[in-house]
Amino acid sequence: MKRPELKQALGRLLGPGEEEVGCDECFELLDEYVEHEVAGRDADAAVPGLRAHLAGCPACREEHESLRALVGGEQAL
Amino acid sequence: MTAATVERAVETPVDLQAPTLDTESREWVAGLRAEDPAAVARLHALLVRAARFEVARRRPTLPHLRGNELDEIALEAADDALMSVLRRLGDFRGASRFTTWAYKFALLEAAVKLRKRAWQGREVPLEPETWNLFTSSGLEPDAEAEQGELLSALQRAIAEALTPHQRKVLVALALNGVPIDVLAERLSTTRGALYKTLHDARRKLRTYLEETGLPLESWLEEDR
Repeated sequence: MKRPELKQALGRLLGPGEEEVGCDECFELLDEYVEHEVAGRDADAAVPGLRAHLAGCPACREEHESLRALVGGEQAL
Repeated sequence: MTAATVERAVETPVDLQAPTLDTESREWVAGLRAEDPAAVARLHALLVRAARFEVARRRPTLPHLRGNELDEIALEAADDALMSVLRRLGDFRGASRFTTWAYKFALLEAAVKLRKRAWQGREVPLEPETWNLFTSSGLEPDAEAEQGELLSALQRAIAEALTPHQRKVLVALALNGVPIDVLAERLSTTRGALYKTLHDARRKLRTYLEETGLPLESWLEEDR
C-alpha cells in the first residue's frame, strides 16, 4: 500500500485524535461555522472542536461542504 | 474533553429586538412565529431549492436513479425539513442568518435520504472485508516489514482492545465505508450515538497502539 493511501486508511481508523464535538453538536453549530468561513473569519477559533469533527465524520463533512457551497455561492452572486 | 463534550451555553430563543439579528432573519422568524401562510410557503420554496442543490451535487454518484426519482427525493426532503424547521424554530439563536440555519435542515434530509437510497437492498458488511487494502505489495523490503508490523498491531488492537459493538461499528464505518446514517438505520440507533461509539473505539485503538511503541504520529504525518 502506498503511503498516502495508508495514511488515509489509518486516518479513517484512528480519527482526528483531537478534541471534537459530536454529530448533534456539529449540526447545531454548522450554520455559524459556515458563515464565519464564508466571511473569511477564523471559524475554528469561533467554533472550537468542529473542524476536528469534520475531519473524522464523512457524513457531517459532506453536509458542511454542501452548506458552504450553497451559502458561498449565494454570497458570490 | 471528548466527543460530545464540548459544551455550549444553553441558549434562549432569539430575541427579535436583538441588534445583532439582521432584518431579513427578523422578518423570517416573525412571520413563521405568527404562522403566516405566505412565510411558510416562502420557507418551503427555500428548502426545496436547498434540497435540489444537494441532489444535484450527489447526482453523479447515483447513476441508477432517474431525474424524476431524484426530484421526488428532493421534494420529500424539503417537506421533512419544513416540519423540522417549524418544530425547532425556538432553537434558532441568531448565530447565523435564518436562511443559513434553515438550509442545513434541507441539506441533511436530502443527504440522508440519498445515502439510504444508494444502499437500499445492499448488505451492510460488519466484518473486515478490506484488510487487503493494507497489503504491502510492491514496497521495498524494509518498508514492507514496517507496514506489516503496523498492520499486525492494528489487527491485534481491533481484536483485543474493543468491545464487540465497538468493533462492529468501527469495521463498518471506517474499514468498509458504510455511511453512518445507513448503519444507524440498520442498527436502530442514531448518527450521534454511533459516532460516540466510533470515537471511543478510535481512542482505545490509539492508546493500544501508542502503548506498543509504534511511531503512530509519524505514520499519520503529511510527508512521510
